[in-house]
Amino acid sequence: MIVYLFGYLSDDFFGRVIVSPNDRTVAQLAAQLTAWGSTPGRTGPATVVNEAGRQLETSLTIAEAGLGNGDIFTVLRDA
Amino acid sequence: MVLRRDDWLDLARKVDWTYAYVDERDVFPAALSGEPWLPQRAWQNWNEAYRTTYREYVANQRSKDEAVVGVRSALSKAHILEGLDPGWLQLLKFHNGALALAEYAGAVAELRMARFGRDSAWRTMATLGALDEIRHTQIPLLLGHDMLGVDGNFDWTHRAYHTNEWLIIAARHLFDDMFLAADAIDIAIQLNFVFETGFSNLQFMAMAALADRADDHLFEKALASIQTDEARHAQIGHPVLRTLLQNGERERAQYLVDKMWWRCWRLMIALTGTAMEYLTPLAARTHSFKEFMEEWVVEQFMKNLAEFELDRPWFWDLFIEELDYAHHSVQLGFYAYRTTLWFDVAAPDEAEREWLDQKYGDWGETFGGLWDQVEARWKSEGEAGTLAQALPALCNLCQLPTVFLRPGRSTACTLEVDGRPYLFCSEPCRWIFTNEMPRFAGHKNVVDRIVLGEAPGKLTDLHEWMGLRAPIETGKDLRRGLDHWRLNPIPTAGDRP
Repeated sequence: MIVYLFGYLSDDFFGRVIVSPNDRTVAQLAAQLTAWGSTPGRTGPATVVNEAGRQLETSLTIAEAGLGNGDIFTVLRDA
Repeated sequence: MVLRRDDWLDLARKVDWTYAYVDERDVFPAALSGEPWLPQRAWQNWNEAYRTTYREYVANQRSKDEAVVGVRSALSKAHILEGLDPGWLQLLKFHNGALALAEYAGAVAELRMARFGRDSAWRTMATLGALDEIRHTQIPLLLGHDMLGVDGNFDWTHRAYHTNEWLIIAARHLFDDMFLAADAIDIAIQLNFVFETGFSNLQFMAMAALADRADDHLFEKALASIQTDEARHAQIGHPVLRTLLQNGERERAQYLVDKMWWRCWRLMIALTGTAMEYLTPLAARTHSFKEFMEEWVVEQFMKNLAEFELDRPWFWDLFIEELDYAHHSVQLGFYAYRTTLWFDVAAPDEAEREWLDQKYGDWGETFGGLWDQVEARWKSEGEAGTLAQALPALCNLCQLPTVFLRPGRSTACTLEVDGRPYLFCSEPCRWIFTNEMPRFAGHKNVVDRIVLGEAPGKLTDLHEWMGLRAPIETGKDLRRGLDHWRLNPIPTAGDRP
C-alpha cells in the first residue's frame, strides 16, 4: 500500500511530503528523505522518531513502525 | 443659515431608526451582524475617536490622491523605475500581487459593516472605510500598470488573486477568514482591531520608510497615503471590542484577538519578513524585521491589550521565539520553490549575511550553513541543484509550508478528524482549526490536491494550474546565479542599456 508521510530532517528547514510503499523499511524512508534534503551527501548516524518522539526501529517496515497516511516522522542527525 | 459642522454632525452620525413594522433581528440578522446579538441600545454608545464628515473625507482624499499622482507625474512613466534596486523591484511585484486585490476584498468587508454594523456611526465610518479600500486597490493597480512596460509580471498586481498560486491561496485563506466570510463583529475585531491597528503599520509605515531609503518615492508616497486611511477606519474596532466586553463576551473577544494575531503573523512572516530582509537593498535597511515588529507591532498591540485588560495570547512565547527565526526559514523555502512564485527570490550576499548576523546574533550559525549548502550546489550542480526536489508539507490552516522555527526545531503537528489526517505548522494553527472545525475541515491545500490527483503533480502542468506561464513568469534567482564573485556590483535598473 502506498502512503504519504511528512518527513522532517533535523538539520533542514522545512517538511517534505514523502510518498512511499509502506512495506519499505524505516531506514529506506529516512534515506529517501535525506537524499531530498539540503545535504544529500551527508552520512552518519541518524535516528528516526515519530510525532510523539518515540524512536522507530529502522529495520521495521513503515507499516510495522506504525506510520500511516498523514503521519509525521523526523530524522534526527547531529547538528 | 448654514449650520456649523459640530451643530449637525452628531445628529447625522447617529440615525438609528426605531423599527415599526419589522423586527430589529430581521434588519440585523445575527449571521451577518454577528454574535452576540444585542439590541441597538447596547450599541448606542458606539463612538469613533476621530469624527469625519463626508465633505472632509472627500477633501482629504482628493489632496492625498493629488500627492501620489503628483509624484507619479513628476517621475513620468518612462523613469518610474530608474535607479531602483532589482531586489526592490521584485519586492514591489510581490507586494502588489499580494495586496492590491486583498484591499478590494477589504472594501466588501467594510460594506458588510456599512450595512450590518449595529450603530449608525459605525456604519458611517465603514462606508468611508469601503471608499478607502477601493482607493487602496486602485493605487497599486495604477502603479502596477505603469510598470508593465518594464516587467510584464506586474500584471500579477491584478491577476494574482484570480489564480491558484499557492502563496496567494494562503493569503486568500487568511483574508477570507478575516473578513470575507465573517460577520460585522468579527470583521471589526479581526480586520480593524487586530490587523489594521496591529500589522498594517508594519506593511505600510515601516515599508514606506524603507521605500524612502530605497529611493522609491512613489511607493513611499502611496504606502504612507494608504496608511493614513487605515489609521482612520481602524478605529472601528475599538468601540466594537469595548461593547463586547461590556456585555460579558470577554472570552470570545480574547479568542478572536488571539486567533487573528497568529494568523496575521503567519502571513507577515512570509510577506513582509522575507521582503524586508532579502529583497530590500542593504543600504536602505534601517531596522531588521524583528526590530520593526517590536517597535511598530508588538508595542502597539501591548497597549491595545492593556487598554481592554485582555491577556497576551497563550502562544506569546512561541511568537517571541519565532521573531528571530521564522522568516529566515520561509526565505529558504521561497528560494527552493522559487519557480512556483511570480517574483524573483534572492540569496543573501556576504554583506547581507554580515548584516543579518549582526541583527540576529546567531543567523550565521543557524541559517548561514544552509545558504552555504545552496551556494555549494550552485557550483556543483548548477541551478537545478538549488531547487527543491519534493513537495513541501503545507499547513492545513495557514496553507504555508511547515517550515522549522529554526534548524533542528520543528513545531509541526497533526490531527485526525473523521479519518482524515491534517498537518499543521504549529500548535496555534492546530488550536484555531480545532476551535472552528466546521469552518476549516474538509478544505484541501495545494499539496493535498496534488497527492489526491486533483492537481497536477508534474511541475510544468502545475505551473499552468497555478496560473504561472513558465518560464517567463516563474520566479528565478534574483541574480540568475551571477552572484557578486562573478558580477560586482549588482546592476540596478538604471544600468539597463
